[in-house]
Amino acid sequence: MTLQALRSSGAARAGADAAVGGGTTATTVAEATAPPSPALDQPAPDQPAPVLQVHDLSVAYGARRVVSGVDLTLRRGTSLALIGESGSGKSTIARSVLRLLPRGASTPQGRIEVDGRDLLALSDRAFRPLRGRTLAFVPQDPASSLNPVRRIGAQAQEAAALLGERDAGRRRELALEAFADVGLPDPERVYDAYPHQLSGGMLQRVLIALAVLPQPRVLVADEPTSALDVTVQRRILDLLEELRRTRELSLLLITHDLALAAERAEEIVVLRDGRVQEAGPARQVLHAPTSDYARALRADVPALNPDRLRELRASLEVRDAVVPAPEDRPDQAAPDGEHRSSGDVASAAAWASTARAATPRIAFEGVHRTFGGGAAGRAGVVAAEDVTFTVAPGTTHALVGESGSGKTTAVRMLLGLERPDAGRILVDGEPVPTSPRALRGLRRHLQLVYQNPFTSLDPTWRVGRLVCEPLDRFGVGRRSERADLVVAALDDVGLGAAFLARSPHELSGGQRQRVAIARALVTRPDTVVLDEPTSALDVSVQADILDVLVRLQAEHGLTYLFVSHDLGLVRQLADTVTVLRNGRVVEQSSAADLFAGPREAYTRALLAAVPRAEELA
Amino acid sequence: MRHLYLAYAGRRTGQAIVVVLLTYVVTFLAISVLPGDPVTSTLRNPENGFSEEEIARIVSYYGLDQPVAVQLWQALSRFLVGDLGVSMRTNLPVAQLVGAVVGSTLVLAASALAVALVLAGAIAYGAHRFPWAPGRSLLRSLPSFFLSVPTFVIGLVLIYVFAFDLGLFRVIEPDSAWATFFAALTLGVPVSAQLAEVLIAGLDHEAQQEYTSVARSRGLGEARLYLRHLLKPSSLPVVTVLALTVGELLGGAVITETIFGRTGIGSLVQRSVSTQDLPVLQAVVALAAVVFVVVNLAADLLYPLLDPRVRRVGSARSGAGVGAVGAGSAGVGSVGAGTPDGELESADVLAAFVADEQLAAVGDSAIEVPLEERVRVS
Repeated sequence: MTLQALRSSGAARAGADAAVGGGTTATTVAEATAPPSPALDQPAPDQPAPVLQVHDLSVAYGARRVVSGVDLTLRRGTSLALIGESGSGKSTIARSVLRLLPRGASTPQGRIEVDGRDLLALSDRAFRPLRGRTLAFVPQDPASSLNPVRRIGAQAQEAAALLGERDAGRRRELALEAFADVGLPDPERVYDAYPHQLSGGMLQRVLIALAVLPQPRVLVADEPTSALDVTVQRRILDLLEELRRTRELSLLLITHDLALAAERAEEIVVLRDGRVQEAGPARQVLHAPTSDYARALRADVPALNPDRLRELRASLEVRDAVVPAPEDRPDQAAPDGEHRSSGDVASAAAWASTARAATPRIAFEGVHRTFGGGAAGRAGVVAAEDVTFTVAPGTTHALVGESGSGKTTAVRMLLGLERPDAGRILVDGEPVPTSPRALRGLRRHLQLVYQNPFTSLDPTWRVGRLVCEPLDRFGVGRRSERADLVVAALDDVGLGAAFLARSPHELSGGQRQRVAIARALVTRPDTVVLDEPTSALDVSVQADILDVLVRLQAEHGLTYLFVSHDLGLVRQLADTVTVLRNGRVVEQSSAADLFAGPREAYTRALLAAVPRAEELA
Repeated sequence: MRHLYLAYAGRRTGQAIVVVLLTYVVTFLAISVLPGDPVTSTLRNPENGFSEEEIARIVSYYGLDQPVAVQLWQALSRFLVGDLGVSMRTNLPVAQLVGAVVGSTLVLAASALAVALVLAGAIAYGAHRFPWAPGRSLLRSLPSFFLSVPTFVIGLVLIYVFAFDLGLFRVIEPDSAWATFFAALTLGVPVSAQLAEVLIAGLDHEAQQEYTSVARSRGLGEARLYLRHLLKPSSLPVVTVLALTVGELLGGAVITETIFGRTGIGSLVQRSVSTQDLPVLQAVVALAAVVFVVVNLAADLLYPLLDPRVRRVGSARSGAGVGAVGAGSAGVGSVGAGTPDGELESADVLAAFVADEQLAAVGDSAIEVPLEERVRVS
């Protein structure tokens, strides 16, 4: 709603600007705001002048070359997106331009020109006046980009000082104006706050305000929204676009998100392993990529390919329709009566599965949970209020919401790590037990794959031990059998026995997450909770992991509870969806219905915020 | 809201007093189980020349003929009203003996501390900013070198060079300004090494943080960057180490005072140990405990002032806590701006994530200011 208004009013404003303003301003604004026109496909002769030009840039860390022979041109008042996966060298290029490379990185070779001056030829002393005034920087993670022990005002004073203002009071006014310009409510409170007192979205606005306050000519934004929620991301990107138009800023946008780049930039440069794979107008790169890599990248972006996994799932389901029963678990019965084991007799298991077909695998019934509050009559934070949903066996249910929506709390309650204040949580029709022993029995059948594979695996253990640990913990099988089960689990995720003796640090992010999945599946659980399982991974790796998850679901009849903020991903993977906001269920339906016609305004806002290049099609 | 900080300070002070009393009790018990009877070893020592009457008076004063528990109770009740007892060796009040020397030691320790801080700051900054790379690595290795040289070697070298060769001070005037300075240097060098070590590590860590890059991109000069941005967060661990090394300053004072011929706590301890003058030792240990506890208390109270995030942790732990400082001072700046002061306070006092979530909610909902309005401002 508001977003729509925001966008259309922005366009209106820009139009007015173009009408009122004259000369170059009008041209630039019109150029920037006009929906991509055919003129953009071929370089027009009246393009704005280049502001930043990079020629044949190479950077090496020691002997390792991370950027080789990169060329790019950023024109005045336009935006250029530098896109690539981790290790592609995109941040290194940004930091070479800003001269922020860590010590030990070799001096960049080539030319970086701003208005015809070669930055690489300048001494530190000669470069410093360009900082802030000519080249400004908006970093990736707003939470770590402001000094935590200094007030925001003190840091804003530094930015205002770049304008040569000698009076501290006047500098404060400039900072407050800049805060108001970027849409921060209550600039005075922001000025006096410490960084930890503000949300990520507010901090990113602060950082943008500080960057644009000294009126720079080029803004380098390094993944400016990847740490933010999707609706906040949209607002921040709108803001950057707005500032670019009104202030004739040129924007160098670093991102890993092709859809975002296509939506927000006029030109795209695709990088891989430090080399330019493809460069050109955004629409051309998106819709008619000439390089294999750009094509592969495009195919992996969930938002651009909503039905990719559906086809895979359909083919797998047809194949497996003959054997509908979940596999036997190599186990002994769960020790406690509270959680029903599937039994050790095959027929019993079959019977149980038939009997339970009508019973949802997971059911939340009117669950409430509030944190804090109480004592002094203060209202606590509501993490769950009357949360109700069910997940049928063998399906994927997505819990969707932004940070603070209560999705993590829901998962913690399901795993028995948190107790609901009211309401019931049922697993296979039985309430989640409270005793530690019974919980152990439950967790054997209810496994979790964590968000970040870089921190969820003990770095001192080898893969074999990591995957075997759940078997040891639950005492599954004999020692000799366990080794086979571990190898089988590793085979399942496409790694195989060769990985048994590897350490986590020898593995890539995607391999680590595969190990984490193998570890979750080795006890043959019915249900796996996937907590943002791919959010720390590159899109191409993410696509592989999703394939693995879909295949395993079909092979083992798994039920997934998929927690995510990424609606593109949810659309690909989920059968049913619950949208959460501030602990309340906003909307609930099948994924197909939700994405075809969201009923609630909030869901529509979430969907609208997903960068996708449909408008450009 | 400031009373919350005061409540925190009061609670920490109370804990500090308990620590001092416990130290006193433990020292008393430790001394009383040591072999050797002070009556025979000190009082009946012909060199000290006590008469039988005096001995009887001292024995009854200390209750040396009573059970240990009674002696402890007597000593403790005297200690509580500030009576440190009477020296067994000199028959003078302990308070008077200690009072005569404590000033000299405090001057020495305080100047040593100042020297250590300046030296540590210089070494750490040089290790980062010295224009010549080998110089930087040399400065980096300086702390370990300082730590590996014994105090007395440093002291003797300093005396040899500056007193005998250069004649800057005379060893027979140990309380002159130069003599005090070099004694402080002797004592301060090993302490500075430890401080420099953590300060360098702290600067290393902070220099890698993203906010350092962002501040640099704002055009900050290196000196300002270090002084304004990096020093404060890097000095947090230094405060902790500083509080711990104060014990070292007191212990090291014994050696330094001996080398430089100063009359201080060190020489008093030395004499009292060799003569088993228990009341004096007891008092010195209590004094050391008081100094140690006071310094650590100061460090605890300083921490929340240096790092606003600690205020939040403190408040989260105590349920009320130190958050008040931030809220109080933040509130001052925003009066008159129609700022919801109460909101900031409550958010600050609530547990960590609660505060964030609330503020985030406030901020995000309020961000949806119509664009026209924002544009009008710009």
